[in-house]
Amino acid sequence: MDRDRIVRVLIAKPGLDGHDRGAKVLTLGLRDEGMEVIYTGLRQTPEKVVQAAVQEDVDVVGLSCLSGAHNELFPRVVELLRESGKEDSLVLGGGLIPEEDVPRLKEKGISAVFTSGTSIHAIAEYIRQNVAP
Amino acid sequence: MLFNKRELSRISRAKREWQEGPLRQQLERFGMEAPPANTYTPADLGDWDFLEKVGLPGQYPFTSLEHPTHLPERGAAVSAVRFVAGAYAGYGTVEDTRDLWREQGRRGANVAFDLPTQCGYDSDDPIARGEVGKVGIAVDTLRDFDVLYQFLDGMAGLDQTASNFTINAPCNIILAMYIAVAEKRGVDPTRLRGTPQNDILKEFIARGTYIFPPDPSMRMIRDTITYCNKNLPLLNPISICGYHIREAGATAAQTMAFTFSNAIAYVQLGIDAGLDVDDFVRRFTFLNFSGSMDFFLEIARARAARRIWARIMKDRFGAKNPRNWITSGLGSAVEGRYCYTTQRPLNNLARGIIMGVAAALSGGRPSGGVPYDEPLGLGHSYEASQLSLDAARIMRHEAKLGEVIDPLAGSYYVESLTDQVEQETLEIMRRVEEMGGSVEAIKSGWMQREVARSAYQFHREVENGERVIVGLNRFTGDNELNVSTSRLAPHPYDPRKREDAEERQLANLAQVKKERDNRQVQSSLKALHRAAQDKNENLMPYFLDCVKAYATIGEMCNVLRDVFGEWEPVDVL
Repeated sequence: MDRDRIVRVLIAKPGLDGHDRGAKVLTLGLRDEGMEVIYTGLRQTPEKVVQAAVQEDVDVVGLSCLSGAHNELFPRVVELLRESGKEDSLVLGGGLIPEEDVPRLKEKGISAVFTSGTSIHAIAEYIRQNVAP
Repeated sequence: MLFNKRELSRISRAKREWQEGPLRQQLERFGMEAPPANTYTPADLGDWDFLEKVGLPGQYPFTSLEHPTHLPERGAAVSAVRFVAGAYAGYGTVEDTRDLWREQGRRGANVAFDLPTQCGYDSDDPIARGEVGKVGIAVDTLRDFDVLYQFLDGMAGLDQTASNFTINAPCNIILAMYIAVAEKRGVDPTRLRGTPQNDILKEFIARGTYIFPPDPSMRMIRDTITYCNKNLPLLNPISICGYHIREAGATAAQTMAFTFSNAIAYVQLGIDAGLDVDDFVRRFTFLNFSGSMDFFLEIARARAARRIWARIMKDRFGAKNPRNWITSGLGSAVEGRYCYTTQRPLNNLARGIIMGVAAALSGGRPSGGVPYDEPLGLGHSYEASQLSLDAARIMRHEAKLGEVIDPLAGSYYVESLTDQVEQETLEIMRRVEEMGGSVEAIKSGWMQREVARSAYQFHREVENGERVIVGLNRFTGDNELNVSTSRLAPHPYDPRKREDAEERQLANLAQVKKERDNRQVQSSLKALHRAAQDKNENLMPYFLDCVKAYATIGEMCNVLRDVFGEWEPVDVL
């Protein structure tokens, strides 16, 4: 990936879950890693997430959910991104995601899942290595 | 004062000589730049006065304990199964939870509601998709509440147990359901006991299940306070929380300052409504302030908290009854659950125990901490609960912790630290006061921003290694063993029921909508709409009418959304 180009990231909270510590920390952290990051705030429907992704023309969409609704919401966002012509987006997941759900999420188009204990630097490196050129 | 000025001078001089002499020599000899450990002396206390700063337990300023000695233990968990049965719980549909609670022999309700319920949406609302019955029970109408309380049928009357509801924005609707369910069972509502959480300000700051903007939200809490004061004398109208603010990333001092500022706003509600402070504050409770692994800091924080609130109730609000100066329900130091790790989770046993000791050293009884498998998923296994119980028993009966109240009182270090935490907290409270109080500090996004900044600071310290978390950012080499465990006994929540709860609840809801008298629903909602526009109206009677007509939570909240508007969070990053 061209290291001079600035990566644009959307961090989103789909669904009703109100735990946003990780989402906020990641937003600030990725900014310190040199990326442009927009945080959607709480209570985003999948449609609103994709709308923001299109509007902000982001390269990466990070989805955070701790309520257990990730199996429903994350694939839905991927589907809508594809319908909106943003199939090149790198979609990442985080929050409270049981190990056994990860393979299915990956099948549905979530590139990687980063949960509690992951370093921001590791996420930033993953993005730099996997974002569409 | 413990030591006179001359004595303190001598001690200060002795410390200076020691720093220049033996300490410096050791540092030089071993090539250390700074001492790895510090020392405190009486000089750090200055003109410290025992009765003014600490006093006797149960006496102003209550630093050691709210009461003269520990209260007798009522309903203590006697087994892992009972421990799990008493915990905050609920999942799926009300049938799922009712059946589980009956099986566990549960006697009281400590209710977790799902997110749609907490956020004022019906199970069939598009925004509820995927969320129904996940983090708690799906409740849409009175029918659901009625079915839930079948868990007690034949075992205890509603006036013989207490119910905790972790519900905030739609609190008064849930209370109306509770009253209606009591009436249906021939129980006098004035004998209902329990505590709804009902602390909306912390929702804006840290937890996220708000609906309406701050002002109308505070009006609804005023309604709770005045209604309970008159009609539900045994019910606590609020549980003022620091826990969530801490877990969202706030520091110890920020947590105390924001929570006590919120508490001041809530007390003011009752006063502005014309109630005598000594009359209604009696029923105000606090939830714990969470914690951290900073052992002595948490002990100091717990002591400072009691002193700070006592001063506020006595001096600022002029409460006369000393019973109203205490932080009822707050307890002593506790663990920070965010400190537990999913990596090498058995280490959480040590973490829980360390904070259990801190609890015993700050006025409480020892606790084993929340079970070690807390970060591994919803609910705790019976094994982890058993270990937590046994840890508390070992601390209490073998180590005899808790037999002396506040044994660190008088410690040069702990008293200095207590004063320091108190000062930091009061300084932040002054800033909030200057902004016009909690509501204004929330409307501007200031509190939320502070929490986010502290959370980020904490994470940076973890990431650069400044803050050590064993097994996570240090001691993770190949020579370390990843000691792990799997749950041996199946978790009480049936995963299949959790998966299809949404489908079943949609059917329940459709059935209620078919069978109810829709004209009655419409007229009760119209009356609610009208009353909501008048700030002087208490909405409880209107909620009661709506609830008894089987109006849904979503329908009632939509009426209120129309009148009050919805909270638009400020962009804080």
